[in-house]
Amino acid sequence: MSTMRITPEMNRFVVIHPLDDVAEQKCSSEGLGHIRMTHGVRISLRILRGYLVLMTLMLGYHVLDLAGVLQKLR
Amino acid sequence: MRLAESPITVATPRGVAVKHAWQKHLLGFLMVFGPGLIVMEADNDAGAVSTYMQAGGQYGLHLLWLLIVLLPICYFVQEMVARLGIATGKGHAAMIYERFGKWWGHFSLIDLLAVNFLTLITEFAAISLALSALGVSPYISVPVSAIGLTLMVVTGSYLRWERIVIVLCLMDLAWFVLAFIVHPGWVGVARSTVHPGMPAGGITSSLIFLVIAIVGTTIAPWQLFFQQSCVAEKRLRFADLKWARLDTLIGSIFTVCVAGAMMLVGNYGYQHGIVFQDPAQFANAVLPSLGHFARNALLLLMVNAAVLGTTAISLASAWAYGEVKGWEHSLHKKLWEAPGFYATYIGCVGAAAAIVLIPHVPLQLVIISVQVFAGVILPSAIIFLQLLLNDRELLGERWVNRPWNNYINWTIIIVLFALSLLLAAQVMLPNLFQ
Repeated sequence: MSTMRITPEMNRFVVIHPLDDVAEQKCSSEGLGHIRMTHGVRISLRILRGYLVLMTLMLGYHVLDLAGVLQKLR
Repeated sequence: MRLAESPITVATPRGVAVKHAWQKHLLGFLMVFGPGLIVMEADNDAGAVSTYMQAGGQYGLHLLWLLIVLLPICYFVQEMVARLGIATGKGHAAMIYERFGKWWGHFSLIDLLAVNFLTLITEFAAISLALSALGVSPYISVPVSAIGLTLMVVTGSYLRWERIVIVLCLMDLAWFVLAFIVHPGWVGVARSTVHPGMPAGGITSSLIFLVIAIVGTTIAPWQLFFQQSCVAEKRLRFADLKWARLDTLIGSIFTVCVAGAMMLVGNYGYQHGIVFQDPAQFANAVLPSLGHFARNALLLLMVNAAVLGTTAISLASAWAYGEVKGWEHSLHKKLWEAPGFYATYIGCVGAAAAIVLIPHVPLQLVIISVQVFAGVILPSAIIFLQLLLNDRELLGERWVNRPWNNYINWTIIIVLFALSLLLAAQVMLPNLFQ
């Protein structure tokens, strides 16, 4: 399961393509559930939510502006 | 950290025997090479050609330095993607679903699919525009391109697709030939590359918009999803990380150099007072002064950029959707072995091509929507990437970010957040900054 192998008796390196190599064990999330809500994760997701709310409000404002609703209110 | 056996196993590894260590390193690199170059160069798509040429056309060489600033940003972001892909063997969409739950998973996926689809429409619009300038009717060029793009992926071989796309990437070397043809004045180019200068007129709303557009076009959301899926598809191993990093670095340098060449070509318009709205218009305008070769090369490079963008973006969508749905999602599979995956790819390509053929499609609205969606998705996708790269439970100490990684990446995220917000604000509230 390595990229290169040394064959000592022939004093050669054997380079194996990733697609031809045997599979290796990867880091798996199986059984881990959701990410642990540390302080950093919680703050990051809150900022992201705030950002999305702000974007939604701006989009709403733009739609109302395009529809001429804001001009009527003014 | 838990280790899972990958479902794909190969009983007898085949290899290539070499005598010298340098041959081993070179061959090892060449076997891994591909995803980094493709993800970077495909980002120089039709929209990017237009943006970089406009930057040159409106501000000459003044914005060249920005590309040098963007080079490490591109590398650091995509290096994280490659590392995560190698460590988990899974795509970005699947990881967001598994670690952040369905709500964030659906949000990321739907946003990605929407922005990708709208971008595809602009790619086909560019193909139609460029080939119309060469005398080919859109009713021929667009369907033929869509069929060609489909045939590229349905061969049942990832490597075949990868080789075709690498050749397309290398065709972008022709941008350097064009840059030499337009004689930009190399001393000025060298100076502007390392020394940020203020364009005549100072900081204007249009300049800010263009700067943000350059940043947005150089780092696109689909790139995160694409490279991670590509790395998983190629089954890169832990030992391949150093080569994957080199691949990503080469891709970053190449794409920034090509982007610079596009700006130099656009700069020809700035020097000679040629005003243009799109690269095809520019190509026609320079015909009398630069000749047929330059004009045709420009138009064909525009098509190449659109084709590269289309295949990579459609695959990013198909991989992401397939991962989340739990379908077979691999280019190693035949058409009938992964029907949902291929149907997504073909559906995206076919629908975007069909929309372009509808008369009077509001392309301007599509372009604005792309900018807004990209503004929404890029910061969120990067936040998830950064959080995943700090997920010790999943990755263990070996693969998580080092403190210096985090300092750099959080800085990049804050800057991208601010720029994305500014871009979206400027697109949605055009009078805000006046």
